[in-house]
Amino acid sequence: MSARKPDSFNLKMTYFIPLTAQFMGDLLCLRGNFGKLAVSLRKATKRQWVTAMESIIEVENLQKSYKNKQALKNVSFRVRRGEIFGFLGPSGSGKTTTVKILTSQLQHTSGRVSVFGADPLRNRRAGFLSRIGVLTDNSGMYDRLTVYDNLKLFCGLYGVPDKEIGPVLASVNMAADQSTPVQKLSKGMKQRITLARAILHRPEILFLDEPTSALDPVNMGQIHDTLRRLNREGTTIFLTTHNMQEAETLCDRVAFLNNGEISALDTPLELRLQHGDRTITVTTSRGKEIVSQDEAGARRISELMARGELLAIHSNEPTLGDIFVKITGRGLE
Amino acid sequence: MSLSLHRLLAIISKEWKDSIKNPQILLMAGIPILMAILGKGRAQTAEGAMDVFTMPLMVAIVTVGAFAQALMISEEKEKNTLRALMLSPASPMEVLLGKSVMTAAFTVIVIFICTQITGIPDLHFGFLILFVLMMLIISMAFGTVIGLISRTASETSIVGLPVLLIFIFGPMFGSGIDSAVVVKIVEMLPSYQFMLGLSDHVNGGGLEEVKGSLLNLVIWTAAAIVLTFIIYRSKSFDK
Ligand SMILES: Nc1ncnc2c1ncn2[C@@H]1O[C@H](COP(=O)(O)OP(=O)(O)OP(=O)(O)O)[C@@H](O)[C@H]1O
Ligand SMILES: [Mg+2]
Repeated sequence: MSARKPDSFNLKMTYFIPLTAQFMGDLLCLRGNFGKLAVSLRKATKRQWVTAMESIIEVENLQKSYKNKQALKNVSFRVRRGEIFGFLGPSGSGKTTTVKILTSQLQHTSGRVSVFGADPLRNRRAGFLSRIGVLTDNSGMYDRLTVYDNLKLFCGLYGVPDKEIGPVLASVNMAADQSTPVQKLSKGMKQRITLARAILHRPEILFLDEPTSALDPVNMGQIHDTLRRLNREGTTIFLTTHNMQEAETLCDRVAFLNNGEISALDTPLELRLQHGDRTITVTTSRGKEIVSQDEAGARRISELMARGELLAIHSNEPTLGDIFVKITGRGLE
Repeated sequence: MSLSLHRLLAIISKEWKDSIKNPQILLMAGIPILMAILGKGRAQTAEGAMDVFTMPLMVAIVTVGAFAQALMISEEKEKNTLRALMLSPASPMEVLLGKSVMTAAFTVIVIFICTQITGIPDLHFGFLILFVLMMLIISMAFGTVIGLISRTASETSIVGLPVLLIFIFGPMFGSGIDSAVVVKIVEMLPSYQFMLGLSDHVNGGGLEEVKGSLLNLVIWTAAAIVLTFIIYRSKSFDK
Protein backbone atom coordinates (compact mmCIF):
# COMPACT_ATOMS: atom_id res chain seq x y z
CA MET A 1 0.00 0.00 0.00
CA SER A 2 1.18 3.40 -1.02
CA ALA A 3 1.58 5.34 2.21
CA ARG A 4 3.83 2.68 3.64
CA LYS A 5 6.29 2.36 0.78
CA PRO A 6 9.29 4.61 0.27
CA ASP A 7 9.06 4.60 -3.57
CA SER A 8 6.76 7.57 -3.61
CA PHE A 9 9.18 9.55 -1.51
CA ASN A 10 9.93 11.99 -4.29
CA LEU A 11 6.28 12.74 -4.66
CA LYS A 12 5.90 13.38 -0.96
CA MET A 13 8.81 15.79 -1.01
CA THR A 14 6.94 17.67 -3.73
CA TYR A 15 3.99 18.02 -1.36
CA PHE A 16 6.25 18.92 1.51
CA ILE A 17 6.92 22.42 0.19
CA PRO A 18 3.37 23.81 0.12
CA LEU A 19 2.52 22.07 3.39
CA THR A 20 5.55 23.52 5.11
CA ALA A 21 4.54 26.93 3.79
CA GLN A 22 1.16 26.47 5.38
CA PHE A 23 2.55 25.42 8.75
CA MET A 24 4.97 28.29 8.76
CA GLY A 25 2.00 30.55 8.15
CA ASP A 26 0.19 29.01 11.09
CA LEU A 27 3.25 29.29 13.29
CA LEU A 28 3.49 32.98 12.48
CA CYS A 29 -0.03 33.33 13.80
CA LEU A 30 0.89 32.02 17.22
CA ARG A 31 2.19 35.39 18.42
CA GLY A 32 2.88 34.13 21.90
CA ASN A 33 -0.63 33.64 23.16
CA PHE A 34 0.07 30.41 25.01
CA GLY A 35 -1.12 31.50 28.43
CA LYS A 36 -4.65 32.41 27.54
CA LEU A 37 -6.33 29.09 26.92
CA ALA A 38 -8.42 28.85 30.04
CA VAL A 39 -12.08 29.58 29.47
CA SER A 40 -14.33 30.03 32.44
CA LEU A 41 -17.66 28.39 32.85
CA ARG A 42 -20.69 30.04 34.24
CA LYS A 43 -23.73 28.34 35.60
CA ALA A 44 -26.94 30.24 35.44
CA THR A 45 -29.33 29.96 38.29
CA LYS A 46 -32.71 31.29 37.45
CA ARG A 47 -35.60 32.68 39.38
CA GLN A 48 -39.12 33.77 38.83
CA TRP A 49 -41.55 36.28 40.20
CA VAL A 50 -44.63 38.24 39.39
CA THR A 51 -44.40 41.89 38.48
CA ALA A 52 -46.61 44.82 37.84
CA MET A 53 -46.30 46.08 34.27
CA GLU A 54 -46.34 49.87 34.59
CA SER A 55 -42.55 50.02 34.57
CA ILE A 56 -40.73 48.46 31.64
CA ILE A 57 -37.55 47.88 33.67
CA GLU A 58 -37.53 47.18 37.40
CA VAL A 59 -34.43 46.66 39.46
CA GLU A 60 -34.49 46.04 43.19
CA ASN A 61 -31.52 45.59 45.50
CA LEU A 62 -29.40 44.43 42.62
CA GLN A 63 -25.96 43.14 43.52
CA LYS A 64 -23.27 41.81 41.27
CA SER A 65 -19.94 40.43 42.37
CA TYR A 66 -17.19 39.34 40.05
CA LYS A 67 -14.64 36.91 41.43
CA ASN A 68 -13.08 39.27 43.94
CA LYS A 69 -14.79 42.57 43.17
CA GLN A 70 -18.22 43.83 44.02
CA ALA A 71 -19.28 45.83 40.97
CA LEU A 72 -22.87 46.62 42.00
CA LYS A 73 -23.69 47.02 45.67
CA ASN A 74 -27.37 47.68 46.14
CA VAL A 75 -28.95 49.20 43.08
CA SER A 76 -32.67 49.91 42.76
CA PHE A 77 -34.49 51.89 40.07
CA ARG A 78 -37.39 51.73 37.65
CA VAL A 79 -37.60 52.82 34.04
CA ARG A 80 -41.01 53.83 32.69
CA ARG A 81 -42.13 52.85 29.24
CA GLY A 82 -41.36 55.63 26.78
CA GLU A 83 -38.75 57.56 28.73
CA ILE A 84 -35.07 58.22 28.10
CA PHE A 85 -33.30 57.08 31.23
CA GLY A 86 -29.68 58.03 31.80
CA PHE A 87 -27.12 56.16 33.86
CA LEU A 88 -24.38 58.63 34.65
CA GLY A 89 -21.18 57.56 36.31
CA PRO A 90 -17.40 57.61 36.11
CA SER A 91 -15.32 54.80 34.67
CA GLY A 92 -15.61 51.59 36.68
CA SER A 93 -18.81 52.59 38.46
CA GLY A 94 -20.75 49.62 37.10
CA LYS A 95 -22.63 51.02 34.08
CA THR A 96 -21.66 48.29 31.65
CA THR A 97 -22.27 45.63 34.28
CA THR A 98 -25.83 46.92 34.71
CA VAL A 99 -26.47 46.98 30.96
CA LYS A 100 -25.16 43.43 30.64
CA ILE A 101 -27.47 42.19 33.38
CA LEU A 102 -30.49 43.99 31.89
CA THR A 103 -29.79 42.57 28.42
CA SER A 104 -29.37 38.93 29.54
CA GLN A 105 -25.63 38.82 28.97
CA LEU A 106 -24.74 38.39 32.62
CA GLN A 107 -26.24 36.66 35.65
CA HIS A 108 -26.61 38.90 38.69
CA THR A 109 -25.57 37.79 42.16
CA SER A 110 -28.66 38.81 44.12
CA GLY A 111 -31.66 41.11 44.01
CA ARG A 112 -34.48 41.33 41.50
CA VAL A 113 -34.23 42.31 37.84
CA SER A 114 -37.20 42.50 35.54
CA VAL A 115 -37.45 43.68 31.95
CA PHE A 116 -40.88 43.47 30.26
CA GLY A 117 -42.06 41.91 33.52
CA ALA A 118 -39.66 38.97 33.59
CA ASP A 119 -36.07 38.03 34.32
CA PRO A 120 -34.05 38.78 31.15
CA LEU A 121 -32.02 35.57 31.33
CA ARG A 122 -35.12 33.49 31.87
CA ASN A 123 -36.90 35.28 29.05
CA ARG A 124 -33.96 35.09 26.65
CA ARG A 125 -35.26 32.49 24.25
CA ALA A 126 -38.87 33.66 24.41
CA GLY A 127 -38.67 36.61 22.05
CA PHE A 128 -36.88 38.87 24.53
CA LEU A 129 -33.96 39.47 22.20
CA SER A 130 -36.15 40.72 19.32
CA ARG A 131 -37.68 43.30 21.63
CA ILE A 132 -34.42 44.93 22.68
CA GLY A 133 -31.64 46.65 20.77
CA VAL A 134 -28.17 46.86 22.30
CA LEU A 135 -25.18 49.02 21.53
CA THR A 136 -22.14 48.22 23.68
CA ASP A 137 -18.66 49.60 23.48
CA ASN A 138 -17.33 46.23 22.35
CA SER A 139 -19.91 44.87 19.95
CA GLY A 140 -18.05 44.00 16.78
CA MET A 141 -18.81 44.23 13.09
CA TYR A 142 -17.54 41.93 10.35
CA ASP A 143 -14.50 43.88 9.17
CA ARG A 144 -14.22 42.35 5.73
CA LEU A 145 -17.90 42.80 4.86
CA THR A 146 -19.44 46.02 3.64
CA VAL A 147 -21.67 48.15 5.84
CA TYR A 148 -24.65 46.94 3.80
CA ASP A 149 -23.76 43.24 4.11
CA ASN A 150 -23.27 43.59 7.86
CA LEU A 151 -26.77 45.00 8.23
CA LYS A 152 -28.20 42.51 5.73
CA LEU A 153 -27.13 39.66 8.02
CA PHE A 154 -29.04 41.18 10.91
CA CYS A 155 -32.07 41.83 8.69
CA GLY A 156 -32.05 38.09 8.06
CA LEU A 157 -31.67 37.26 11.75
CA TYR A 158 -34.44 39.61 12.91
CA GLY A 159 -36.76 38.98 9.95
CA VAL A 160 -36.61 42.60 8.79
CA PRO A 161 -36.90 43.31 5.02
CA ASP A 162 -33.62 44.44 3.40
CA LYS A 163 -35.25 47.64 2.16
CA GLU A 164 -35.12 48.98 5.75
CA ILE A 165 -31.32 49.22 5.53
CA GLY A 166 -31.27 52.43 3.46
CA PRO A 167 -33.49 54.53 5.75
CA VAL A 168 -31.76 53.24 8.90
CA LEU A 169 -28.33 54.11 7.51
CA ALA A 170 -29.62 57.53 6.51
CA SER A 171 -30.83 58.14 10.07
CA VAL A 172 -27.27 57.72 11.37
CA ASN A 173 -25.79 59.74 8.51
CA MET A 174 -24.08 56.75 6.91
CA ALA A 175 -26.08 56.36 3.71
CA ALA A 176 -23.09 57.28 1.54
CA ASP A 177 -20.94 54.46 2.92
CA GLN A 178 -23.20 51.48 2.24
CA SER A 179 -20.67 49.63 0.14
CA THR A 180 -17.55 50.45 2.17
CA PRO A 181 -15.93 47.52 3.98
CA VAL A 182 -16.22 48.08 7.73
CA GLN A 183 -12.44 47.87 8.23
CA LYS A 184 -12.10 51.12 6.25
CA LEU A 185 -14.40 53.10 8.56
CA SER A 186 -13.33 55.48 11.30
CA LYS A 187 -14.19 54.76 14.92
CA GLY A 188 -17.09 57.21 14.95
CA MET A 189 -18.46 55.77 11.71
CA LYS A 190 -18.31 52.27 13.20
CA GLN A 191 -20.16 53.53 16.23
CA ARG A 192 -22.87 54.93 13.97
CA ILE A 193 -23.40 51.70 12.05
CA THR A 194 -23.41 49.79 15.31
CA LEU A 195 -26.27 52.06 16.33
CA ALA A 196 -27.94 51.40 12.97
CA ARG A 197 -27.72 47.68 13.69
CA ALA A 198 -29.21 48.16 17.15
CA ILE A 199 -32.28 50.01 15.84
CA LEU A 200 -32.78 48.02 12.62
CA HIS A 201 -35.61 45.93 14.08
CA ARG A 202 -37.32 48.84 15.91
CA PRO A 203 -36.81 47.50 19.44
CA GLU A 204 -39.10 48.46 22.32
CA ILE A 205 -36.12 49.22 24.54
CA LEU A 206 -32.83 50.49 23.22
CA PHE A 207 -29.82 49.96 25.51
CA LEU A 208 -26.93 52.26 24.70
CA ASP A 209 -23.63 51.88 26.50
CA GLU A 210 -21.74 55.12 25.85
CA PRO A 211 -23.12 55.55 22.32
CA THR A 212 -21.41 58.80 21.44
CA SER A 213 -18.01 58.41 23.11
CA ALA A 214 -16.15 58.48 19.77
CA LEU A 215 -18.22 61.12 18.02
CA ASP A 216 -17.55 64.72 17.08
CA PRO A 217 -20.18 67.33 18.06
CA VAL A 218 -21.88 67.33 14.63
CA ASN A 219 -22.38 63.58 14.54
CA MET A 220 -23.23 63.50 18.22
CA GLY A 221 -25.96 66.04 17.55
CA GLN A 222 -27.26 63.96 14.68
CA ILE A 223 -27.31 60.80 16.79
CA HIS A 224 -29.14 62.68 19.54
CA ASP A 225 -31.75 63.79 17.01
CA THR A 226 -32.15 60.20 15.84
CA LEU A 227 -32.53 59.00 19.42
CA ARG A 228 -35.13 61.69 20.19
CA ARG A 229 -37.06 60.73 17.09
CA LEU A 230 -37.01 57.02 18.02
CA ASN A 231 -38.13 57.98 21.50
CA ARG A 232 -41.03 60.03 20.13
CA GLU A 233 -42.03 56.98 18.12
CA GLY A 234 -42.26 55.00 21.34
CA THR A 235 -38.83 53.48 21.97
CA THR A 236 -37.74 53.45 25.60
CA ILE A 237 -34.06 54.32 25.84
CA PHE A 238 -31.65 53.26 28.57
CA LEU A 239 -28.42 55.12 28.11
CA THR A 240 -25.14 55.13 29.99
CA THR A 241 -22.68 57.94 29.64
CA HIS A 242 -20.05 59.87 31.48
CA ASN A 243 -20.87 62.90 29.39
CA MET A 244 -23.01 65.11 31.61
CA GLN A 245 -24.12 67.32 28.74
CA GLU A 246 -25.43 64.31 26.89
CA ALA A 247 -27.38 63.25 29.95
CA GLU A 248 -28.71 66.76 30.43
CA THR A 249 -29.91 67.33 26.87
CA LEU A 250 -31.24 63.86 26.22
CA CYS A 251 -32.54 62.26 29.37
CA ASP A 252 -35.93 62.55 31.03
CA ARG A 253 -34.40 61.21 34.23
CA VAL A 254 -30.86 60.43 35.28
CA ALA A 255 -29.36 58.18 37.94
CA PHE A 256 -25.93 58.92 39.36
CA LEU A 257 -23.94 55.74 39.74
CA ASN A 258 -20.87 55.81 41.90
CA ASN A 259 -18.90 52.80 43.11
CA GLY A 260 -21.74 50.43 42.35
CA GLU A 261 -24.39 52.50 44.14
CA ILE A 262 -27.01 54.99 43.01
CA SER A 263 -26.47 58.24 44.86
CA ALA A 264 -29.18 60.33 43.20
CA LEU A 265 -32.06 59.81 40.77
CA ASP A 266 -34.29 62.52 39.31
CA THR A 267 -34.96 64.72 36.31
CA PRO A 268 -31.98 66.88 35.32
CA LEU A 269 -33.98 70.03 36.12
CA GLU A 270 -35.03 68.81 39.56
CA LEU A 271 -31.45 67.84 40.38
CA ARG A 272 -30.21 71.27 39.38
CA LEU A 273 -32.88 73.01 41.43
CA GLN A 274 -32.22 70.86 44.47
CA HIS A 275 -28.50 71.31 44.41
CA GLY A 276 -28.14 74.86 43.17
CA ASP A 277 -27.25 77.55 45.73
CA ARG A 278 -29.86 79.80 44.10
CA THR A 279 -27.54 82.73 43.51
CA ILE A 280 -27.54 85.02 40.47
CA THR A 281 -24.53 86.22 38.52
CA VAL A 282 -24.82 89.70 37.05
CA THR A 283 -22.33 91.05 34.55
CA THR A 284 -21.61 94.75 34.28
CA SER A 285 -18.88 96.68 32.48
CA ARG A 286 -16.84 96.40 35.73
CA GLY A 287 -17.02 92.60 35.77
CA LYS A 288 -19.05 89.82 37.32
CA GLU A 289 -20.89 90.03 40.59
CA ILE A 290 -22.74 87.32 42.46
CA VAL A 291 -25.92 88.30 44.26
CA SER A 292 -28.14 86.19 46.47
CA GLN A 293 -31.86 85.65 45.91
CA ASP A 294 -33.20 87.86 48.66
CA GLU A 295 -34.22 91.47 49.19
CA ALA A 296 -30.67 92.73 49.16
CA GLY A 297 -30.03 90.91 45.90
CA ALA A 298 -33.24 92.23 44.34
CA ARG A 299 -32.30 95.77 45.37
CA ARG A 300 -28.84 95.42 43.89
CA ILE A 301 -30.17 94.14 40.57
CA SER A 302 -32.84 96.83 40.22
CA GLU A 303 -30.20 99.39 41.08
CA LEU A 304 -27.98 98.16 38.25
CA MET A 305 -30.94 97.98 35.90
CA ALA A 306 -32.05 101.50 36.76
CA ARG A 307 -28.58 102.78 35.97
CA GLY A 308 -28.53 100.82 32.73
CA GLU A 309 -25.30 99.05 33.72
CA LEU A 310 -26.57 95.49 33.46
CA LEU A 311 -24.94 93.57 30.59
CA ALA A 312 -26.02 89.99 31.41
CA ILE A 313 -27.84 88.06 34.10
CA HIS A 314 -27.63 84.31 34.83
CA SER A 315 -29.10 82.05 37.45
CA ASN A 316 -26.37 79.83 38.89
CA GLU A 317 -27.82 76.37 38.35
CA PRO A 318 -25.05 73.86 38.65
CA THR A 319 -24.39 71.44 35.80
CA LEU A 320 -25.02 67.75 36.37
CA GLY A 321 -21.26 67.38 36.55
CA ASP A 322 -21.07 69.89 39.42
CA ILE A 323 -23.87 68.11 41.23
CA PHE A 324 -22.17 64.77 40.74
CA VAL A 325 -19.01 66.13 42.35
CA LYS A 326 -21.05 67.65 45.17
CA ILE A 327 -22.88 64.42 45.92
CA THR A 328 -20.14 61.86 45.42
CA GLY A 329 -17.01 63.85 46.04
CA ARG A 330 -15.51 62.77 42.72
CA GLY A 331 -15.60 63.84 39.08
CA LEU A 332 -17.14 62.06 36.12
CA GLU A 333 -14.17 61.63 33.85
CA MET B 1 -34.26 24.19 20.33
CA SER B 2 -35.95 25.75 17.33
CA LEU B 3 -33.93 26.26 14.19
CA SER B 4 -35.02 28.90 11.72
CA LEU B 5 -34.20 28.28 8.09
CA HIS B 6 -34.39 31.98 7.42
CA ARG B 7 -31.74 32.76 10.04
CA LEU B 8 -29.61 29.82 8.93
CA LEU B 9 -29.61 31.10 5.35
CA ALA B 10 -28.68 34.59 6.55
CA ILE B 11 -25.70 33.15 8.45
CA ILE B 12 -24.58 30.92 5.56
CA SER B 13 -24.74 33.85 3.15
CA LYS B 14 -22.67 35.99 5.52
CA GLU B 15 -20.08 33.19 6.02
CA TRP B 16 -19.71 32.81 2.29
CA LYS B 17 -19.17 36.51 1.65
CA ASP B 18 -16.74 36.66 4.56
CA SER B 19 -14.72 33.55 3.66
CA ILE B 20 -14.01 34.50 0.08
CA LYS B 21 -12.53 37.74 1.40
CA ASN B 22 -10.45 36.03 4.09
CA PRO B 23 -6.86 35.52 2.87
CA GLN B 24 -6.14 32.88 5.52
CA ILE B 25 -9.02 30.71 4.35
CA LEU B 26 -8.14 31.25 0.70
CA LEU B 27 -4.58 30.14 1.47
CA MET B 28 -5.88 26.98 3.09
CA ALA B 29 -8.03 26.28 0.06
CA GLY B 30 -5.08 26.98 -2.22
CA ILE B 31 -2.68 24.47 -0.61
CA PRO B 32 -4.42 21.24 -1.73
CA ILE B 33 -5.01 22.74 -5.16
CA LEU B 34 -1.31 23.57 -5.41
CA MET B 35 -0.51 20.01 -4.30
CA ALA B 36 -2.75 18.65 -7.04
CA ILE B 37 -0.99 20.80 -9.62
CA LEU B 38 2.49 19.83 -8.37
CA GLY B 39 1.67 16.13 -8.12
CA LYS B 40 -0.10 15.76 -11.45
CA GLY B 41 1.74 13.43 -13.80
CA ARG B 42 4.73 12.95 -11.48
CA ALA B 43 3.82 9.52 -10.22
CA GLN B 44 5.97 6.63 -11.49
CA THR B 45 4.08 3.79 -9.85
CA ALA B 46 0.46 2.82 -9.34
CA GLU B 47 0.76 3.62 -5.64
CA GLY B 48 2.21 7.00 -6.48
CA ALA B 49 -0.67 7.69 -8.83
CA MET B 50 -3.06 6.90 -6.02
CA ASP B 51 -1.23 9.32 -3.70
CA VAL B 52 -1.51 12.04 -6.32
CA PHE B 53 -5.26 11.58 -6.14
CA THR B 54 -5.87 11.01 -2.42
CA MET B 55 -3.26 13.28 -0.84
CA PRO B 56 -4.77 16.61 -2.00
CA LEU B 57 -8.20 15.29 -1.03
CA MET B 58 -7.07 14.43 2.47
CA VAL B 59 -5.25 17.73 2.90
CA ALA B 60 -8.27 19.66 1.57
CA ILE B 61 -10.57 17.98 4.04
CA VAL B 62 -8.25 18.49 7.00
CA THR B 63 -7.13 22.07 6.31
CA VAL B 64 -10.38 23.51 5.01
CA GLY B 65 -12.75 21.22 6.92
CA ALA B 66 -11.01 21.47 10.27
CA PHE B 67 -8.91 24.60 10.16
CA ALA B 68 -11.19 26.98 8.32
CA GLN B 69 -14.03 25.88 10.57
CA ALA B 70 -11.94 26.51 13.69
CA LEU B 71 -10.77 29.87 12.40
CA MET B 72 -14.28 31.07 11.61
CA ILE B 73 -15.54 30.12 15.06
CA SER B 74 -12.68 31.66 17.04
CA GLU B 75 -12.67 34.82 14.95
CA GLU B 76 -16.27 35.50 15.99
CA LYS B 77 -15.07 35.55 19.58
CA GLU B 78 -11.92 37.55 18.94
CA LYS B 79 -13.71 40.30 17.00
CA ASN B 80 -16.68 40.44 19.40
CA THR B 81 -19.11 39.70 16.59
CA LEU B 82 -20.37 36.68 18.48
CA ARG B 83 -21.68 39.03 21.16
CA ALA B 84 -23.81 40.81 18.58
CA LEU B 85 -25.04 37.51 17.15
CA MET B 86 -25.96 36.24 20.60
CA LEU B 87 -27.91 39.45 21.29
CA SER B 88 -29.97 38.77 18.16
CA PRO B 89 -32.50 35.95 17.92
CA ALA B 90 -29.84 33.67 16.38
CA SER B 91 -29.06 30.63 18.53
CA PRO B 92 -25.54 29.23 19.02
CA MET B 93 -26.68 26.09 17.20
CA GLU B 94 -27.74 28.11 14.17
CA VAL B 95 -24.42 29.92 14.12
CA LEU B 96 -22.39 26.70 14.29
CA LEU B 97 -24.63 24.95 11.78
CA GLY B 98 -24.37 27.85 9.36
CA LYS B 99 -20.59 27.75 9.57
CA SER B 100 -20.54 23.98 9.12
CA VAL B 101 -22.66 24.15 5.98
CA MET B 102 -20.34 26.81 4.60
CA THR B 103 -17.20 24.84 5.51
CA ALA B 104 -18.56 21.64 3.98
CA ALA B 105 -19.53 23.42 0.77
CA PHE B 106 -16.15 25.10 0.55
CA THR B 107 -14.34 21.78 1.07
CA VAL B 108 -16.43 20.08 -1.59
CA ILE B 109 -15.60 22.85 -4.04
CA VAL B 110 -11.87 22.52 -3.33
CA ILE B 111 -12.10 18.71 -3.67
CA PHE B 112 -13.89 19.12 -6.97
CA ILE B 113 -11.17 21.42 -8.29
CA CYS B 114 -8.44 19.01 -7.11
CA THR B 115 -10.06 16.04 -8.83
CA GLN B 116 -10.44 18.04 -12.02
CA ILE B 117 -6.70 18.65 -11.95
CA THR B 118 -5.49 15.17 -10.98
CA GLY B 119 -8.21 13.17 -12.67
CA ILE B 120 -10.26 10.51 -10.90
CA PRO B 121 -9.06 6.90 -10.86
CA ASP B 122 -11.45 4.11 -11.67
CA LEU B 123 -13.53 3.75 -8.54
CA HIS B 124 -17.03 3.37 -7.23
CA PHE B 125 -18.47 6.83 -6.55
CA GLY B 126 -20.46 5.61 -3.59
CA PHE B 127 -17.20 4.58 -1.89
CA LEU B 128 -15.56 7.90 -2.64
CA ILE B 129 -18.51 9.89 -1.29
CA LEU B 130 -18.76 7.74 1.82
CA PHE B 131 -15.05 8.09 2.59
CA VAL B 132 -15.01 11.82 1.90
CA LEU B 133 -18.14 12.34 3.98
CA MET B 134 -16.79 10.53 7.04
CA MET B 135 -13.39 12.19 6.82
CA LEU B 136 -15.15 15.54 6.45
CA ILE B 137 -17.34 14.98 9.50
CA ILE B 138 -14.30 13.96 11.57
CA SER B 139 -12.32 17.01 10.44
CA MET B 140 -15.17 19.47 10.92
CA ALA B 141 -15.87 18.04 14.37
CA PHE B 142 -12.23 18.58 15.33
CA GLY B 143 -12.33 22.03 13.78
CA THR B 144 -15.42 22.90 15.80
CA VAL B 145 -13.76 21.68 19.01
CA ILE B 146 -10.60 23.68 18.28
CA GLY B 147 -12.69 26.77 17.48
CA LEU B 148 -14.72 26.39 20.66
CA ILE B 149 -11.75 26.10 22.99
CA SER B 150 -9.69 28.90 21.44
CA ARG B 151 -10.68 32.50 21.99
CA THR B 152 -8.68 34.09 19.21
CA ALA B 153 -7.59 33.15 15.71
CA SER B 154 -4.00 32.79 16.90
CA GLU B 155 -5.01 30.41 19.67
CA THR B 156 -6.56 28.32 16.93
CA SER B 157 -3.09 27.81 15.52
CA ILE B 158 -1.69 26.78 18.90
CA VAL B 159 -4.41 24.25 19.57
CA GLY B 160 -4.86 23.11 16.00
CA LEU B 161 -1.29 22.78 14.78
CA PRO B 162 -0.54 19.46 16.54
CA VAL B 163 -3.76 17.97 15.17
CA LEU B 164 -2.91 19.17 11.69
CA LEU B 165 0.66 17.89 11.92
CA ILE B 166 -0.36 14.44 13.08
CA PHE B 167 -3.27 14.05 10.66
CA ILE B 168 -1.38 15.20 7.57
CA PHE B 169 2.26 14.29 8.16
CA GLY B 170 1.38 11.03 9.93
CA PRO B 171 0.30 9.19 6.79
CA MET B 172 2.98 10.89 4.69
CA PHE B 173 6.07 10.12 6.70
CA GLY B 174 5.12 8.23 9.86
CA SER B 175 5.06 4.87 8.11
CA GLY B 176 8.59 5.41 6.88
CA ILE B 177 9.86 5.65 10.46
CA ASP B 178 11.44 2.41 11.64
CA SER B 179 9.40 1.95 14.77
CA ALA B 180 6.57 -0.52 15.29
CA VAL B 181 4.86 1.82 17.76
CA VAL B 182 4.86 4.79 15.40
CA VAL B 183 3.53 2.63 12.56
CA LYS B 184 0.77 1.32 14.82
CA ILE B 185 -0.25 4.85 15.82
CA VAL B 186 -0.17 6.08 12.24
CA GLU B 187 -2.34 3.16 11.21
CA MET B 188 -4.97 4.30 13.67
CA LEU B 189 -5.25 7.76 12.11
CA PRO B 190 -8.42 8.37 10.11
CA SER B 191 -6.42 10.30 7.51
CA TYR B 192 -4.21 7.24 6.95
CA GLN B 193 -7.18 4.90 6.76
CA PHE B 194 -8.93 7.31 4.40
CA MET B 195 -6.06 7.07 1.93
CA LEU B 196 -5.50 3.35 2.52
CA GLY B 197 -9.16 2.48 2.06
CA LEU B 198 -9.43 4.43 -1.20
CA SER B 199 -6.22 2.82 -2.53
CA ASP B 200 -7.37 -0.66 -1.59
CA HIS B 201 -10.65 -0.02 -3.28
CA VAL B 202 -9.08 1.24 -6.51
CA ASN B 203 -6.78 -1.79 -6.47
CA GLY B 204 -9.87 -3.94 -6.83
CA GLY B 205 -10.98 -4.20 -3.22
CA GLY B 206 -14.67 -4.54 -2.44
CA LEU B 207 -16.42 -4.03 0.85
CA GLU B 208 -14.56 -7.01 2.35
CA GLU B 209 -11.10 -5.52 1.64
CA VAL B 210 -11.84 -2.01 2.89
CA LYS B 211 -13.94 -2.87 5.91
CA GLY B 212 -11.01 -2.31 8.27
CA SER B 213 -10.62 1.28 7.02
CA LEU B 214 -14.36 1.77 7.05
CA LEU B 215 -14.64 0.58 10.65
CA ASN B 216 -11.82 2.90 11.67
CA LEU B 217 -13.54 5.88 10.06
CA VAL B 218 -16.93 5.01 11.55
CA ILE B 219 -15.41 4.83 15.05
CA TRP B 220 -13.58 8.15 14.55
CA THR B 221 -16.74 9.77 13.21
CA ALA B 222 -18.78 8.67 16.21
CA ALA B 223 -16.06 9.64 18.69
CA ALA B 224 -15.55 13.06 17.05
CA ILE B 225 -19.28 13.84 17.16
CA VAL B 226 -19.49 12.86 20.83
CA LEU B 227 -16.40 14.94 21.67
CA THR B 228 -17.83 17.96 19.85
CA PHE B 229 -21.07 17.64 21.73
CA ILE B 230 -19.33 17.44 25.10
CA ILE B 231 -17.12 20.45 24.38
CA TYR B 232 -20.07 22.41 23.00
CA ARG B 233 -21.96 21.77 26.22
CA SER B 234 -19.13 22.70 28.54
CA LYS B 235 -17.78 25.76 26.70
CA SER B 236 -21.03 27.73 26.75
CA PHE B 237 -20.44 29.28 23.33
CA ASP B 238 -23.17 31.86 23.89
CA LYS B 239 -21.97 33.53 27.09
N1 LIG C 1 -15.46 40.43 33.87
C1 LIG C 1 -15.07 41.10 34.97
N2 LIG C 1 -14.37 40.48 35.94
C2 LIG C 1 -14.00 41.14 37.05
N3 LIG C 1 -14.28 42.42 37.30
C3 LIG C 1 -14.98 43.11 36.40
C4 LIG C 1 -15.42 42.48 35.18
N4 LIG C 1 -16.10 43.40 34.46
C5 LIG C 1 -16.08 44.54 35.19
N5 LIG C 1 -15.42 44.37 36.36
C6 LIG C 1 -15.23 45.39 37.41
O1 LIG C 1 -16.49 45.88 37.79
C7 LIG C 1 -16.46 47.27 37.99
C8 LIG C 1 -17.52 47.94 37.13
O2 LIG C 1 -17.17 47.76 35.77
P1 LIG C 1 -18.07 48.31 34.57
O3 LIG C 1 -17.47 47.81 33.31
O4 LIG C 1 -19.48 47.96 34.82
O5 LIG C 1 -17.84 49.88 34.70
P2 LIG C 1 -18.33 51.06 33.73
O6 LIG C 1 -19.13 51.99 34.58
O7 LIG C 1 -18.98 50.51 32.54
O8 LIG C 1 -16.97 51.76 33.35
P3 LIG C 1 -16.53 52.47 31.95
O9 LIG C 1 -17.09 53.86 31.98
O10 LIG C 1 -15.05 52.49 32.03
O11 LIG C 1 -17.04 51.64 30.82
C9 LIG C 1 -15.06 47.71 37.64
O12 LIG C 1 -14.36 47.91 38.85
C10 LIG C 1 -14.45 46.58 36.89
O13 LIG C 1 -13.09 46.45 37.20
MG1 LIG D 1 -18.54 50.57 30.46
